[in-house]
Amino acid sequence: MTELLNSLFGPFYGNMIGLLLSATQWTIYLSLAAFIGGGLLGLMLTVLKISPLKPLRWFATAYIWLFQSIPLLMLLFLLGLGIPVFFQIDVPAWLAAGTALTLFTSAYMSEVWRGALESIPQGQWEAGKAVGLTFIQNLWWIIAPQALRIATPSTVGFMIQVIKGTSMAYIIDYNDLMRWGKKIANSQLDGAEPFIVFPIVALIYFCLCFPLSLWSKHLEKKMVLT
Amino acid sequence: MFDFRFYEIWRSEEFISALLSGAFNSFWLSAVGGMLGFCFGLMLAISQDKTVFWGVRYTARSYIEIVRNTPFIVQLFFVAFGLPLLFDYQWSFFASALLAITLNFSAYFAEIVRSGIDTIDKGQLEAAKSLCFSKRQTLFDIILPQALVKVYPSLTSQFVFLFLTTGLVSEISVEDLTWAGRFISDRNFRDFEVFIVLTVIYILLAWLFKLILQGIKRLAFPWSVNK
Amino acid sequence: MSKWYDDFQVLKDIDLSVAFGERIVICGPSGSGKSTLIRCLNHLEEHQKGSITVNDISLSPGMKNPEKVRREVGMVFQSFNLFPHLTILENCMLPQQRALKRTKAEAREIGMRFLERVKIPEQSDKYPRQLSGGQQQRVAIARALCMEPKIMLFDEPTSALDPEMVSEVLDTMIELAESGMTMLCVTHEMGFARKVADRVIFMDAGKIVESSDPEAFFSNPQHPRTKEFLGQIL
Repeated sequence: MTELLNSLFGPFYGNMIGLLLSATQWTIYLSLAAFIGGGLLGLMLTVLKISPLKPLRWFATAYIWLFQSIPLLMLLFLLGLGIPVFFQIDVPAWLAAGTALTLFTSAYMSEVWRGALESIPQGQWEAGKAVGLTFIQNLWWIIAPQALRIATPSTVGFMIQVIKGTSMAYIIDYNDLMRWGKKIANSQLDGAEPFIVFPIVALIYFCLCFPLSLWSKHLEKKMVLT
Repeated sequence: MFDFRFYEIWRSEEFISALLSGAFNSFWLSAVGGMLGFCFGLMLAISQDKTVFWGVRYTARSYIEIVRNTPFIVQLFFVAFGLPLLFDYQWSFFASALLAITLNFSAYFAEIVRSGIDTIDKGQLEAAKSLCFSKRQTLFDIILPQALVKVYPSLTSQFVFLFLTTGLVSEISVEDLTWAGRFISDRNFRDFEVFIVLTVIYILLAWLFKLILQGIKRLAFPWSVNK
Repeated sequence: MSKWYDDFQVLKDIDLSVAFGERIVICGPSGSGKSTLIRCLNHLEEHQKGSITVNDISLSPGMKNPEKVRREVGMVFQSFNLFPHLTILENCMLPQQRALKRTKAEAREIGMRFLERVKIPEQSDKYPRQLSGGQQQRVAIARALCMEPKIMLFDEPTSALDPEMVSEVLDTMIELAESGMTMLCVTHEMGFARKVADRVIFMDAGKIVESSDPEAFFSNPQHPRTKEFLGQIL
């Protein structure tokens, strides 16, 4: 890998791009963790939000409102700096960043999925009830499969938000692509000026996000056509 | 166990004035950046039309995709640290922040406005044509007013979402609300309380923006509100 | 005149001339090309072969200034196409101000005059969505008349209306016809055709298969397709 980069871009840039790419893996891990964690949490919230029990619905509503209103940056500060100082405990950066992004993702995802569920006509629910399905069975076998198709484009689209969101984690010292980009741009080396490094960093982020963006648009078009 | 000491913030006049001026700066950076971004975004959206020269159209398209698919913080650092070197002229970080916010917001707004334009009924265009409206008149008198009202809710929530990311400008030492928070917590070491207060102020500002945007809608598009 | 959509020929060698002041009703089954035909007359659609001349202005595919023709030709659509963000009066005023460069005061006066003519001046400050379908269509007629066209085209003006609103629109059209306006109407309202048309044209599969005065058209249709069609709708 290093040799390939060196032969393509020369030793200096080959080295730089190698560093950035290896930092990118941490961006990807964090994105995946946030997306999977936030997805699961969001799924539970969605079920709470449409459940027949009022207190559960209230809880979900309050949760979604709260974590959509708190700026992601504040969430990172609260979890990465606030809690460790307040409780005198050590919270590793990956844990704080992962938790913050998970909370952020879950709130937005459950909002998307609830919207999709609500767009399924009431008649579908009633039909399920009429053949004797319980709430959960009805949801799982009848409603969710239909809602899934509607929600997929926005879900894929939100993955882009998550990836972009991870770039803020460097603020609490998470070692990701952004942090290394900033380090290299600060290095004062000739050829590593900010106007060179940041476009390279941007390009790497773009390569992560743009395919998702195309995919999401493609899914949307397919959905409209059928 | 919970030993909240919010008075560690209130007790200092310096802290309170830092919070106030920070909140003010955050507010007007987003307000001005939002307005400029909206104007630029409108131009980008219009330039997506099939009839526009392809060079302009694809440049605008690329710009929108690049901005929407890269993080704001990278754009901000590029504008604040990269561009001044390229142009060999150092402008203020405040100017950089405003520029980055404008450029960032514009791409998101452009995408939303474009989607609104696409939903306008073809019959409206035919009616305008048969009544001899020119292309420009059709755009400004018929299409845009309807499109903007249609996407106004999306524009509002996108703006608020983007506003909540502007705290990053504190990273280039712009003295916004987030900067004020770090300024205070560096001195009183009550990070948790400080960021809770900051969060509350951000939520209040977001709510204020929503109110103002609703008011603007009433003024700009009275026909969409009444009855 | 002929027109294709890709490989599909929608209009086949249409040969039609309309005299000044003549009132023509075009009918036929859906997909027969009748709407396309009148939409070609103000260049909302382009024809590919043959020639169209409207009031001594000839239309050609890809022409630069179709406005010249459209100024002479008013059009009323099936779905009204009023501008929802403008009041009724503004709907009538704005096209005059933009295309004819009339002043606001002039436009308002003329707008009110035509709104009175279609009998809804009292609704002038409302928005289209506050009006019934029939009222909206009358406004659409007034809006077109404000441009003082020499010819009026009607593209199924009553098809989108609830049955009880059809007559108010037809009455407006009859009144217009009696004032001597040149009119081409695509419609299935045979009562209207009988009453005001100078000529009824029947189209099928992109061709004019029958063209005669209403008396002959209804009592003694020549073509088997016409007979079949009349049998279905009467």
